[in-house]
Amino acid sequence: MIESFYGWVAELARAGRLPSDFQYPFMVRGFLAVLVLAPLLGGLSHLVVARRMAFFSAALGQAALTGLSIGLLLGEPLNAPYGGIFGFCLLSALGMVYVKRRSALPPDTLIGVFLALTLGLGICLLVAVTRRFNIHQVESVMFGSLLTVTDGDLVLLAAAGLWVAALLVREYNGMLLDSLSPPLAGVAGVDSAWVEYLFAVLLTTAIVVGLKVIGALLVEALVVVPAAAARNLARGTRGYLLLSIAVAFLAGAGGLGISTRLLVPTGGAVVLAASLLFFATLGFGALRQRRGRQRP
Amino acid sequence: MADREAVPAAGGPLLEVRDLWVRRGGETLLERVSLTVQRGALHVLAGPNGAGKSTLLAAILGQTAFEGRITAHWRGDGRIGLVPQSFAVDRTLPVTVVDFLALTRQRRPVCLGIAAATRRRVAALLARVGLSGAEGKPLSVLSGGELRRVLLAHSLDPLPELLLLDEPASGLDQAAARRLEQLLAALCRDEGVTVLMVSHDLAQVRRLADRMTVLDRTVRADGPTAEVLAGGQALVELVGLSAVGAGAPAGGGGGDSGAPERVV
Repeated sequence: MIESFYGWVAELARAGRLPSDFQYPFMVRGFLAVLVLAPLLGGLSHLVVARRMAFFSAALGQAALTGLSIGLLLGEPLNAPYGGIFGFCLLSALGMVYVKRRSALPPDTLIGVFLALTLGLGICLLVAVTRRFNIHQVESVMFGSLLTVTDGDLVLLAAAGLWVAALLVREYNGMLLDSLSPPLAGVAGVDSAWVEYLFAVLLTTAIVVGLKVIGALLVEALVVVPAAAARNLARGTRGYLLLSIAVAFLAGAGGLGISTRLLVPTGGAVVLAASLLFFATLGFGALRQRRGRQRP
Repeated sequence: MADREAVPAAGGPLLEVRDLWVRRGGETLLERVSLTVQRGALHVLAGPNGAGKSTLLAAILGQTAFEGRITAHWRGDGRIGLVPQSFAVDRTLPVTVVDFLALTRQRRPVCLGIAAATRRRVAALLARVGLSGAEGKPLSVLSGGELRRVLLAHSLDPLPELLLLDEPASGLDQAAARRLEQLLAALCRDEGVTVLMVSHDLAQVRRLADRMTVLDRTVRADGPTAEVLAGGQALVELVGLSAVGAGAPAGGGGGDSGAPERVV
């Protein structure tokens, strides 16, 4: 059934009714992945930035490298190293939240310590991994590759996306209030610990399922940059969410196009496109602000 | 051992704090604090910076660990309203006033739209604090005074049984401060809300408060406002109240009303 879907899309592409890239099933898979990843990562990103968790996300991305090494050394296949990455990222995320909630040290200092720990461990293990695997095989997981995305990955992505979205819809208001003012959230009956641990789990899930396309080292950029770009333009939460998703989608689709034409890693191209969009919105936002000041 | 409990109301006090201690990082922030907040009263907490006023509010809210006993005699569902001292909003935060006020007033995520009923409720709340029409403004463009009024609006709905305010008048201009006072007085008088408020404004305390507690890690004075203020200049200086020279204490002036009710 899925083959006939790819065949039908290829026909449309050959007839000129879709971009010619869609003649190839891997491009269709990549685009479908972007269609799921854009609302997932874009939607999460606006809470990541609101909750000041950009550095936390970066640390999770680094932890993915270590998780990848652990998974491969434990015998996971190169094209689906989810267990090691998810397990280690989850452990790191919950560990960071646990220590943060119990320490008086600033969160960025604690995350810096975790980052150093996971990166040091990851690099040591990576040496062991390269003794068993060709580094170019590992590269596709680290930097993302369209060619390695399978139909199974898409199903996993869709299932994870639905699960994350359902929980976010249920907990969104409490999460946002907790990020604005923990005391007010507490009075409103929001359980701060539950919100913090749940968000760490959701973020870990999104990062792990997104890494096949974007890459373990770059996926964390997509949970920060779309919201950062959206903040340059949005005034309210609705615009903030929609713009975050739009930037993630444009970066994803644009990155796919760049990556196939210039033969560069997908993750790099996607993150580069997202960063360019950030600077475009920064300029546009500054222009709008200047015009607003000039208006009597 | 900490004990924060709710018991059936029997009239009189709403909140009783007994022998409360708060220790953090090897330092004692509050020691042997005991006070009673009467139902329907406007009770002011005063004291110098670092006296532990906000810590006491956090203990009452159950948001900080403590030893001792806090007992609330709720009549209704024990709803508490809060206007916190700090509310950090960065310059690019894309959350509007209506987004913020809708967070606890609808189940649907506010980023997916605000329900018509929520909009009406928010408009009525904003009118009550003199901010009609501010719904679409991002929180980041509000002045300090406007932001405090939004926080006040948030604390009023649903109507709380106990309203905790941590320096609610800071950043308010004179007109807004007067409006706040009228609102608080009406809440106590007409709607039976009990208010516990941190304040440094002597004139305001004198105008508004039924009772006050002077705190400096421990309770230095506690009782009816006029009696506490009659405790003399040294006490007033300790409290760090502004407008010290604003005149003699209202009602009583420290004549035959006796010394403040010393708890410690």
